[in-house]
Amino acid sequence: MADSAGLFAAHHHKVFKYFCRAVGRGDTARDLTQEVFLRVSRSPVATNGDGSAWLFRIARNLVLDHHRSRSRHPEPSALIHEAARPAHQDVSAAVNEALGALPDLDRDVFLMREVSGLGYDEIAEACELTADAVRSRIHRTRVQLRDQLAAPIATSRTMAATRSGRTRKDDQ
Amino acid sequence: MNTPYEVISAFLDDEPFDPEDLARALDDPTGRTLLIDSLMLRRIVQPTDVMPPMTAAAPARRFGWRIAAAAAMFVMAVTGGYLVGERRSIAPADEAPPPTRVVQAVPFTPAGGVR
Repeated sequence: MADSAGLFAAHHHKVFKYFCRAVGRGDTARDLTQEVFLRVSRSPVATNGDGSAWLFRIARNLVLDHHRSRSRHPEPSALIHEAARPAHQDVSAAVNEALGALPDLDRDVFLMREVSGLGYDEIAEACELTADAVRSRIHRTRVQLRDQLAAPIATSRTMAATRSGRTRKDDQ
Repeated sequence: MNTPYEVISAFLDDEPFDPEDLARALDDPTGRTLLIDSLMLRRIVQPTDVMPPMTAAAPARRFGWRIAAAAAMFVMAVTGGYLVGERRSIAPADEAPPPTRVVQAVPFTPAGGVR
């Protein structure tokens, strides 16, 4: 059993990172993170584990609400800033776009693992799935994203190889 | 495992896997490419936004503090009122208070004199 302050200290960065990719905006992610912990502080902590599954269940519901309300009231600012985006944000935007095209459940399962570092059991509890279903979904989503993000992945590989070569030269 | 490469995901995620399955998956160039691409994918999906310093919201505790403060003020007001009343009431409650002014009664005399 953890109290709400303990849960906040242990998990708020993970929750924030999940929101950043799930909603694609840092400011909205901050607001939603605050909302999660506000809800936690208002209700008794209903968990026996370290609380991450419970927190992420709340977080996931907030993301679903957010997407529902955005589909009713789309934000025009994303379109306005499209052309003025700096080059280094292109990869991030491409990632957000690819994640946005995924089914909600696949996106959330993937982000909880890849960005927030939850284990399969915790994700299974948060998303009401079995651990086997989580494993299959994560793998399937990885393969799908790898195809959609082939160009940024190739760039990342090249950069990693260049860095590695530089390090090896420095060592010699 | 549903596909021969799912074991690569389990390995990447630090979940239980069969080493034999992993060896078989990595014998295949497709499996090796998938492993490297998955690592690169993990790198590029990390958000760049930084979490600003935040403190835990604790409205429930703040609400409790307010109730405690209000209760303390109420107790202090009641106690103070009691003590002030106690100090002012020097005479016992069942006795009449001492007179503060004595008025002397004078026999009535009409203006026209006594007939």
